[in-house]
Amino acid sequence: MAITVALIGNPNVGKTVIFNNLTGGREHVGNWPGVTVEKKVGVCIHKGTVMNIVDLPGVYSLTARSIAERIARNYIVEERPDVVVDIVDASNIERNLYLTLLLLELEANVVVALNMWDVAKAKGYEIDVGMLSRLLGVPVVPTVAPRKEGMEELKDEIVKAAQRKEKRGMFISYGKEIEDLIKKIEGVLSEDAKLSKRYPLRWLAIKVLEGDEEVIKKVRESPQGAKIISEVLPA
Amino acid sequence: MSAKALRGEDLEVVLAEKRYETIGKIVKASVRKREAKLTFSDMLDKVFLHKYLGIPIFLAIMWAVFQFTFEVSSPFMDMLESGFGLLGKLAGDATTPLASLWADGICAGLGFIMIFIFPIFFLFVALAILELSGYLPRAAFVMDRAMYKIGLPGKAFVPMLMGFGCNLPAIMATRGIEDEKDRLTTILVNPLMSCGARLPVYVVIAGALFPDYAGTVVFSMYILGITLAVLMALLFRKVIPALKGKPGPLILELPPYLTPTPASVGMLTWERGVVFVKKAGTILFAGAVLMWFLTYFPWGVEPGSAESYAGKLGQAVQPIFSPLGFSSALVIALIFGFLAKEIIVETLGILYGAEEEAAIKSAIAANVSPVTGFAFMAFVLTYLPCLATVGIVKAETGSWKWVGFLILYELLLAYAVAAVIVGIGSLL
Repeated sequence: MAITVALIGNPNVGKTVIFNNLTGGREHVGNWPGVTVEKKVGVCIHKGTVMNIVDLPGVYSLTARSIAERIARNYIVEERPDVVVDIVDASNIERNLYLTLLLLELEANVVVALNMWDVAKAKGYEIDVGMLSRLLGVPVVPTVAPRKEGMEELKDEIVKAAQRKEKRGMFISYGKEIEDLIKKIEGVLSEDAKLSKRYPLRWLAIKVLEGDEEVIKKVRESPQGAKIISEVLPA
Repeated sequence: MSAKALRGEDLEVVLAEKRYETIGKIVKASVRKREAKLTFSDMLDKVFLHKYLGIPIFLAIMWAVFQFTFEVSSPFMDMLESGFGLLGKLAGDATTPLASLWADGICAGLGFIMIFIFPIFFLFVALAILELSGYLPRAAFVMDRAMYKIGLPGKAFVPMLMGFGCNLPAIMATRGIEDEKDRLTTILVNPLMSCGARLPVYVVIAGALFPDYAGTVVFSMYILGITLAVLMALLFRKVIPALKGKPGPLILELPPYLTPTPASVGMLTWERGVVFVKKAGTILFAGAVLMWFLTYFPWGVEPGSAESYAGKLGQAVQPIFSPLGFSSALVIALIFGFLAKEIIVETLGILYGAEEEAAIKSAIAANVSPVTGFAFMAFVLTYLPCLATVGIVKAETGSWKWVGFLILYELLLAYAVAAVIVGIGSLL
């Protein structure tokens, strides 16, 4: 059985090197639908599991504002890949974890590759991988992409994650006031069977609060749309 | 708290802050950093990016830049000006068309504008030093919050600042802005940032009509430009469907500070300043000759009078501007200013038959009232971007629609601003 694995990460974290390590450099290059941004797809076979690897654009966040971010998030939301490998620059962990949190909010099945492990060490960082993994609630694998370190472990974790059934990942609490709002919107949204089947409701609710244009458009089209808009959004 | 009340605080920012709070906790629990020495860059950032000191430091640096530009260049300007004065007398009395072309057209018109090569180059030197030292990305970071409030991203800040030099490279620099709407808004308001070419107009007119407050009046034009840019950005983001929305979040890599080498500063300055030199050799030269011809022909008429070609053109168009009190000389200057804003000063110099700054100033003082002069400066600040800028806006937006919109809104805005100034002036 083949699984789909999406690679994502901030720009300049060594995503391309990891893609090449996984696929052996054999790739199929096309375009994302409707835009001229390159889409790279490759295959990796690990211990009998066929993985279709999809390279997503390098992004810092997942708003609806830039083409690259829209491509990345639409792919994750609409295509629901079995595993999303989030490549994190270990030497810049604070900035990189922002994207990780957004992926968890999207309820993606995340595996974190803690790349540039060597650079982080040279800079004096000591990262407790076990603790990080426990806090994030997802597997974390240290890697040094140019030296192919950690690649076998990463593949193992991808396969394991794909077989896992229950949802994982930490829960970010936004504080009582905002959580109440999120609950309220979630409640209204859950009445729309179509939306709640397709998208994580909490994510939709957060995006509505953030004023995300794409999500608001989707919500407006729902039969519940008018209700949400009138209750939550100012005129 | 209702959603509306929370909205006032901008939920997107609040949520992002909460996420960073969470990240901070995760990192604190799982990452330890061996005590590394604070680098010199880190120390500088502690000051330049300080929560409260950041903006005052930035403003102080900008003030220093303008002070440096004007103070250092003024002796050089005086020297070059007397040089051109001497050159103009070489051809003897301007009794023949050829001698007149040399003295009244080239030396008076082109020569007069050439002296502004100094403030323009010194401004570019200062901006190059700021850019190469690594301060400019910090300035964008410091200004992000303020910029966000007016509907522009922090990254628009550097292009806006560059607009004080020249709008052309500034508009090209908007390529660094990822979000299309942010970029388009930045391009559309950028021409309101008063470029170096408009500076000569202010210097001459303010010097003539407000000799005691010239510096303040010139500065007020820059402030007016910034204010209009802010208002327009706010308006466009609210009203124009294609620009609606909020600016994207700022994520910048802050490069380490560097000491700029004289060679790299020189190269960057030259790269940008050469645009002015090329302009002087081509369009400003042609403009000077054309203006001289229109002013002195048919040969024998009183230069710039109603019988000259320029006088006739001015009379034809002037009625549109009579509510503002602009004379036909000012109107002609505005028409040709579309080619390049420096031509406005060139034109006034030729029309008034003045060969040096003092003579132009006294001619302006004799012909233009202070209120009209102030309205004229505001009009020059706001109306039409120059021809080259129009070209670059077309190239960068890829559509004549936005070019047309830019020209139309600027013309209307210029007329409105000038009318308000004249209106207030008449009450005083």
